[in-house]
Amino acid sequence: MFVSGLGYVISETFKGLYRNRWMCITSTGVVVVTLLMLGLFMLVSLNIGHITETVKEQVEIVVYIEDQADQEAVNELYKRLSEHSQVEEVTYVSSEEHMRRLQRQLGGMLEGYDSALDNPLLASYEIKTVVPESVVELAKEFETYPAVSTVFYGQGYVENLFAVTGVLQYVGLALMLGLAVTAIFLISHTIKLTVMMRRKEITIMKYVGASNWFIRWPFLMEGLLMGLVGAVVPLVIIYYLYQYSIEWVAGNNLYFLSLLPAEPVIRELAKYLVPLGTGLGVIGSTFSIGRFLRV
Amino acid sequence: MVEAENVSMKYNRCAQYALEDVTFSIGRGEFVFIVGSSGAGKSTLLKLIIREIKPTAGVMKVFGKDISRLPRRRLPDLRRSIGMVFQDFRLIDDRTASENVAFALMVTGASRRDIRKRVPHVLGLVGLQEKTKERVCDLSGGEQQRVGLARALVNRPSIIIADEPTGNLDPGTALDIMNLLRSINLRGTTVLVATHNREIVDQFKKRVIYLDQGKLIGDERKGIYTHVR
Repeated sequence: MFVSGLGYVISETFKGLYRNRWMCITSTGVVVVTLLMLGLFMLVSLNIGHITETVKEQVEIVVYIEDQADQEAVNELYKRLSEHSQVEEVTYVSSEEHMRRLQRQLGGMLEGYDSALDNPLLASYEIKTVVPESVVELAKEFETYPAVSTVFYGQGYVENLFAVTGVLQYVGLALMLGLAVTAIFLISHTIKLTVMMRRKEITIMKYVGASNWFIRWPFLMEGLLMGLVGAVVPLVIIYYLYQYSIEWVAGNNLYFLSLLPAEPVIRELAKYLVPLGTGLGVIGSTFSIGRFLRV
Repeated sequence: MVEAENVSMKYNRCAQYALEDVTFSIGRGEFVFIVGSSGAGKSTLLKLIIREIKPTAGVMKVFGKDISRLPRRRLPDLRRSIGMVFQDFRLIDDRTASENVAFALMVTGASRRDIRKRVPHVLGLVGLQEKTKERVCDLSGGEQQRVGLARALVNRPSIIIADEPTGNLDPGTALDIMNLLRSINLRGTTVLVATHNREIVDQFKKRVIYLDQGKLIGDERKGIYTHVR
């Protein structure tokens, strides 16, 4: 029976990992720690993004209708608003509904007040926009429409909210990129070190007439396995940590912290961490081994 | 088997030639010593023969072919036809004598049955039949060099190249190794030994190529270590 190519690669991969187990454990440990840090940061980033999106989604424009506007003008206003390309949803809120909301907010303070006889509150349209950031511009536009009394969108607060979320997004992205570059640097150098430790073995293989691919394959497979384990272990750790965090947030009634569900988040992280780990393992091995193959 | 035609070699960033205008020819079945002091160009010459490096000028032919023109993918074939023995043995320390020898067969795609048959045989030839399962780091210097010799022999090469094979050995062990090389040569394998071991060169009375500062200063049949101009 001939020593088959695949059989050789698989057997040499596992033999290589076993013979150099301490170096491999150390290298895999570096990959685990680096990708764990990156994964945790991505997790926090994803959740900050989710929370800011949730807050942004609550931003809406309230268009108050003129008291004297006739029904035709009100219908025309509804038509213009609902057909606007930037508007996602238009909800009519009558002056009676506004009064009921106010009574709910103020509790007993309006007890005995007969709103049916004297209701100073204006009816309105509550508008959700397609893009939350466009509320300022749209509010200005809606002010010019006929039958509009005033437009409210949380002036002052909304601008600050968007400024803060914008900065958060950029800072998060910059930090994530920085961490990703650090991870790439650390992992590729660790893999390089693992290969360097075995340069004597590679040189001997060359002297006895091994082809470059014969030498390369087991190293590539080792790099792939180290990268894979180095990516899967952090994902498992993150999954359990995150599950615990979700339960803790729910247990402490911190409902304003609307965290993303665990499974989709882990799937999202796996999309980045697994290719990053395995890719760096393979690429790191390929580049590191290249210089020793030029014998 | 090996022909050098006006071969010169200059390493990058070095002002001097490591080898300069060297011409010689080695035939099938010859035993040749390449002698000279450190820096004479012995190792450079051996590196040129296995195409670890290419000459700056001239033609280096092995088995009648200009190996400078050999494509990289054909290098393994060349090296399987040349057995290399090194001063520092270059064995994989954490593997057994058998594994080190088998390794040279595996790279050629030999069958497991062939490997199981040839490895003990070749280890027997170098007198290590009792040590096949021992890790090389547990063997003495002389035994390690025997493993190196067995590894060089296992692919039945046409040429054995030994770079200072006795450099790390005591005189008695060095002589044993050289006798082994002589017996390999007697079976028809061409043997090239780079050395500065005067006693052995003088005792063997084989062809000697003398190098000095990169230049070939003598080539004598049945030579002795000291070249007389």
